Amino acid sequence: MSLHTTLRRTAASPIISQGTTATTFICTQCRHATLLRRPKRPYTFTQLITLSDGSTFTHRTTSPLPVYRSTRDTRNSLMWNPTSNKLRNMEDDEAGRLAAFRAKFGRNWDATAPAAEEGVEGEKEKEEARKAAAKEAEEEEDNLLDLISSFGQEEAESGKKKK
Amino acid sequence: MAASEPSRYLARSLPRAIVPAARSQGLCWRRHASDQAAAKPSALSDLESDGLLKGTTTPVEAAKSFDPVARARARKTQLPRSRYQFRSPKYDRGPLHPHRPPPPSDPSSRLFVPGPFSLSRVDQTHESTIASDILTLCYVHNPPGFKPPPKAPRLRTWDDSSPYHKNRSLRGPRGGDVLRLLRKPITFNNIPKLERITIHSYVKNAAKENSGWLHVAGMALQAISNVKVTTYRSKTSVAKWYISPGRDAVAAKAELHGEDMEHFFGKLLDIVMPRLKDWPGVKGTSGDSSGNITFGLEPEQVALFPEIEVNYDMYPPQMIPGCHITLHTTAKTDKDARLLLSAMGVPFYGKLVD
Repeated sequence: MSLHTTLRRTAASPIISQGTTATTFICTQCRHATLLRRPKRPYTFTQLITLSDGSTFTHRTTSPLPVYRSTRDTRNSLMWNPTSNKLRNMEDDEAGRLAAFRAKFGRNWDATAPAAEEGVEGEKEKEEARKAAAKEAEEEEDNLLDLISSFGQEEAESGKKKK
Repeated sequence: MAASEPSRYLARSLPRAIVPAARSQGLCWRRHASDQAAAKPSALSDLESDGLLKGTTTPVEAAKSFDPVARARARKTQLPRSRYQFRSPKYDRGPLHPHRPPPPSDPSSRLFVPGPFSLSRVDQTHESTIASDILTLCYVHNPPGFKPPPKAPRLRTWDDSSPYHKNRSLRGPRGGDVLRLLRKPITFNNIPKLERITIHSYVKNAAKENSGWLHVAGMALQAISNVKVTTYRSKTSVAKWYISPGRDAVAAKAELHGEDMEHFFGKLLDIVMPRLKDWPGVKGTSGDSSGNITFGLEPEQVALFPEIEVNYDMYPPQMIPGCHITLHTTAKTDKDARLLLSAMGVPFYGKLVD
């Protein structure tokens, strides 16, 4: 049920400057037919969102792009990862220019930043350790490869000698 | 007498076809249906005596021409529905009318909206981790036999110092007329969760300049939220912006429920919020003290939504609206709402007012 409200002004012409115009509300109850409008919804697509750490999820969106790759999201922003040491002194070195500069001229030029230095040094140590580990692994692999390769040849050589 | 009688009975007992007609056909110019039926061959002659045993043989041409797929493809118009389907009346004519529309949850209703079609990430996270965390955090242990101290009634009675106090309605609380929501202890069945999200955008230029501002704002909000927006007229007069009450449509609002809301919230949280430049978070003092938190986004921040970014050229760059986003939760106090939202990942800054 809807209340149909009729607003009747007592003054014949509404004069705004007067400010107070007496209004009378005449409420008569009536029931008109209500049009049932079909709900209108925009077309939506299913989109796969790839976060910067590679995790994905799908959602419905009006954007027709099937896959959305985000470069900046909760996984690599400092506000959502306050303890991440990596994000705290993050520098944009996508092209490797800063690394190349450091390789050429050393790191003395940014020695003034002690807070950043520690992190960088830590990284350096880590890198060295990583390199050492990689070297060891390579050497081991070489030794194994030598064993494998020399195994058959030795036999063949011995066979030749026997002959 | 006796000889003529049996012949009459015999004629009556024999089938009509055998007995010769009493009157000659030539004399009769009136046609009777019964006479016609007698002239026809018997219906039994149509029956095949060995129909089932023989087996049917289809002609080869008919078998070759039978291609239902091609026939269906060649059909231009759709076939009529095979069964009767109920169509809801177009108008609701009130509860006393004989033709009532079905409820909106009925698929045949005109108001039916199908869905939800997916279990959103936000919902799954809430179910699996956040709900149990909140339940643990809000647990208050009462030893057995504990009775909470009786509270004063929320509405004060009048002291009967005056005879006029009789039958007066109760007074509101001290220090203001606002009766705050009653916070019940949080148990398994009233864990706060996201109820709905309102995106509201007030476009002041819509009144001063053209309505294009409002159209663009509506399109932007719809693109962001997957929901059709509604426009609202101004209730107040702002002389500086040439806005007068009741005349100008100045605001667009999108109200998100259910699946749309969860998708929007996930998108806002995971993609948009981290990309906002120099954004400290949601202010800790925001909230209407009944569990609804509001924050605003500038136009350039709204432009960071992936839906607007994907065809940024569609929107006139200065017309992209800013908006206020209200997160309505089922929590009764701002403290609980903030607990829920921060568990979901909304950052808050500054002094937290609960």
